[in-house]
Amino acid sequence: MEIRISDLSKSYFSDGKRIAALSEVSLTIPGNQIFTLLGPSGCGKTTLLRCIVGLEAPDAGEIAIGEEVVFSRSRNIFVPPERRGLNMVFQSYAIWPHLTVFDNVAYPLQVRGLPKPEIRRRVQETLRLVQLTGLEGRPATRLSGGQQQRVALARALVAEPKVILFDEPLSNLDAKLREETRKELRQFLTTLRITAIYVTHDRLEALSLSDTIAVMKDGRIVEVGTPRQIYFDSDRRFVADFIGRANLIEGKVSAVSGTHTLVESAIGAIACRKEAGLPAGAAVAVCIRPEFIRILGGDPGRRPNVFRGRVASLLFVGEACEAEIRIGDTTLTARLEATAGLREGDEVLLHVDPAHCMVLSA
Amino acid sequence: MHARHPILTSSLIALVGFLTVCPVFMLVLGSFSEGLGTLGRLTLAKYLRAYTDPALADILWNTAVFTVGSALVATGLALFLAYLNTRTNIPCKSLFGIISIIPMMIPHILFAVSWLLLLNPSNGIINLLLRQLFGLDRSPFNIYSLPGMILVEGLLDLPIAYLVLAPAMAAFDVSLEESSRVCGATTLRTLRRITLPVLRPAILASVTLVIVRSLASFAVPSVLGLPGRIYVLATHIYLIVATGFAPDYGLAAAVGMSVLAVSVSLVYLYRHLTAEGERFVTVSGRGYRPIRIDLKGWRYPLFAAVAFLSFLLILLPVLVLVYTSLTPYSMVPSRRALALMSWRHWREVLRDPISLLSLKNSLFLGVAGATLGVLLSLGVCYTIVKVRTAAAGVLESLSFLSFSFPGIVIGIGFMWFFVRTPLYATIWALLIGYIATYLPYGLRPLTSAFIQIHSHLEESSRVCGAGTLYTLRRIVIPLLMPGILSGWILMATMFVRELSLSVVLSRPGTEVLAVQILRFAEDGLWGRLSALGILMIGISTALVVAASLIGGKLTKVEAPG
Repeated sequence: MEIRISDLSKSYFSDGKRIAALSEVSLTIPGNQIFTLLGPSGCGKTTLLRCIVGLEAPDAGEIAIGEEVVFSRSRNIFVPPERRGLNMVFQSYAIWPHLTVFDNVAYPLQVRGLPKPEIRRRVQETLRLVQLTGLEGRPATRLSGGQQQRVALARALVAEPKVILFDEPLSNLDAKLREETRKELRQFLTTLRITAIYVTHDRLEALSLSDTIAVMKDGRIVEVGTPRQIYFDSDRRFVADFIGRANLIEGKVSAVSGTHTLVESAIGAIACRKEAGLPAGAAVAVCIRPEFIRILGGDPGRRPNVFRGRVASLLFVGEACEAEIRIGDTTLTARLEATAGLREGDEVLLHVDPAHCMVLSA
Repeated sequence: MHARHPILTSSLIALVGFLTVCPVFMLVLGSFSEGLGTLGRLTLAKYLRAYTDPALADILWNTAVFTVGSALVATGLALFLAYLNTRTNIPCKSLFGIISIIPMMIPHILFAVSWLLLLNPSNGIINLLLRQLFGLDRSPFNIYSLPGMILVEGLLDLPIAYLVLAPAMAAFDVSLEESSRVCGATTLRTLRRITLPVLRPAILASVTLVIVRSLASFAVPSVLGLPGRIYVLATHIYLIVATGFAPDYGLAAAVGMSVLAVSVSLVYLYRHLTAEGERFVTVSGRGYRPIRIDLKGWRYPLFAAVAFLSFLLILLPVLVLVYTSLTPYSMVPSRRALALMSWRHWREVLRDPISLLSLKNSLFLGVAGATLGVLLSLGVCYTIVKVRTAAAGVLESLSFLSFSFPGIVIGIGFMWFFVRTPLYATIWALLIGYIATYLPYGLRPLTSAFIQIHSHLEESSRVCGAGTLYTLRRIVIPLLMPGILSGWILMATMFVRELSLSVVLSRPGTEVLAVQILRFAEDGLWGRLSALGILMIGISTALVVAASLIGGKLTKVEAPG
């Protein structure tokens, strides 16, 4: 089910000041995909989610789910959340403490007045899917965090909604459980072929779960793309910086060759992946991710992008070594093999493949 | 996200504002007026008369001794109990929970009467017993005295003091004590130098609260003070309006003004002290494990003391009342007394039209009053907790205002109001007065219930396809039920036994149980009094049981469909 959002704006008052939570957001969310809204806290992603589900009314704009317009300020349409045919998994899970696991999951079906045997069958089915069989009679509060999360998921799935919305559903789990649940969730949602809108501020979650990511900032959509496009191809500083760890080096375009864009910077000339449409002299930044910085052992030969630096600090983090390397006045963060055998103060030769040097123009 | 509900908020502010501000306003106006009929012609005469009364000095002294004495007795006993319960290995700890809750169910007037029956100088059962045993010609105890009043009021307020002190004692950071022990101090020295000083805000809060309660107390001063001609402010006000041919409500209002002022400032002090206490006594969440002090040889003697105290507080009053309701006149329990027992007093009470009317009225006030009171509390709590606009803040301070109002004073204020309306001398006057005075008791449990309902719980129901009404029925109300229930029970039991407000507002035709019991006490009809008193306890208990049963059933709503 496709969701179309056009020119959505929403602001609220706090301490007498008007704060714009959403400004003229337009977005098309394709059906049967996992679509993630990613952004720092306060960027408006949760507000956008709550507007789609109908828990908040925007000040302006239009929302259509499939063919049905569920909100339109100009046409004065507001379909309440219970009639939008969606479901949602809340950050707090919102498990009802006075009901059993069975009644929590059966609730959406009971609301629709389905016959009891059918409710029983469908609840059992869904509980099997989320691996909670046997816990039906348990009071929902007497479950672990991970189990509560599954109950919330089962409740969202049971009535087979057109769209499921997730508001940071993994943020209350501990790190290990979060990783496992993330994998499971990805599996569920891809096998069910359901439209899922997922809100998170965790870039790893966004990258590993999503088919499409929309990066938000200050109530606006900054960029929309697949995880790979967002991670590797973004030409915006905010996106490149937010989606992963990045060394941003300021510079000017000096020449554009057939294969590369050359950028003149404080550490010297950097050969970058070719970016069309940038004239020589344009102010840009080069983004180099720490994991693409290599240490050269022997003679560098005649390849481009070789820099001489000194190891300023080394931090052993288990699976890797994080090194800060100074080249003149510029410090680059590099993620090196833990077994590289470097020490602080060592002189090193660095190399970065031009394919991993992105030119950021915006 | 909740709507701002300006209409709901403003109508609640108007309603609660009327309930709490109106009696105070009328009290002030009344104190400057010449009489109930001539409201509006302002005069200072009532103040002059009230505060130049030569008897006032004695009354003030008595009041001070009575309130401070009761506060010290209640707080001292509560401290002892709370310390034993939270910090030592005394056996049978469930007893402490009972001590802190059950005495609140026993109406104060009956508690005072039962002590009167035991310790009055002419025929108190214990006095008679001691005279027989030791051949004394005078009674050793006289309950009609300041020490007697202080003892009884102190025992009555013990649960309140315990409820203030026990949490503070439990939240006490034990490492403070442990470091004292490490420095070489003994248990006793640690108690004196560390534990008590750190608990000082809680102790002062308890003393302040009990002073407020005993200042407003009417049952003990009227039952035990009036026969011994020991007057305190509450009984002084009562005598001004209840005796003589022309009750002077202006004079009563003028006296009441100072009681109200003292009470309001003490409650303010109490709020300040509890806030300070929260800062001072810190709960350390992690690795927190209170050490239990081993009482060794003292374990059972101390337990016996606690058991005796609970006997005095809970069983003795009921036993004395049952015994008195069955014996023809006051006598020491003996074979002869057993032989003379009969249902005579019970029959008399059940044939007495006024007693039956007061039963009916109190039952109505309990059920209807608590139901209306809880409905009002629901609206107020919803606004305070969920709407949370600036206007909701105004509503919150308004609704907790009446917590500091002494019943008899506020009764005088309402009197000035009701006499001007057709509600005067009707049961509705009592109903309105009750709800106004006891609103905070309904709000307390409901506020915490509302706070527990995270807005996500309602929202997820909407998202699951449930409309507003369905959500209300299946999610919100079941979650609120425990709060509604305890609010209702608190209000209903308080209304069934209400005395200090009723004693002013009750008129022929609107008698209530506690007032009728006071009349019996004034006439010395102890047998009938006891029978009616046991009926009163029975009604309270029945209401509690019924409410719990119905509430339990409502919480378990069967899934439809």
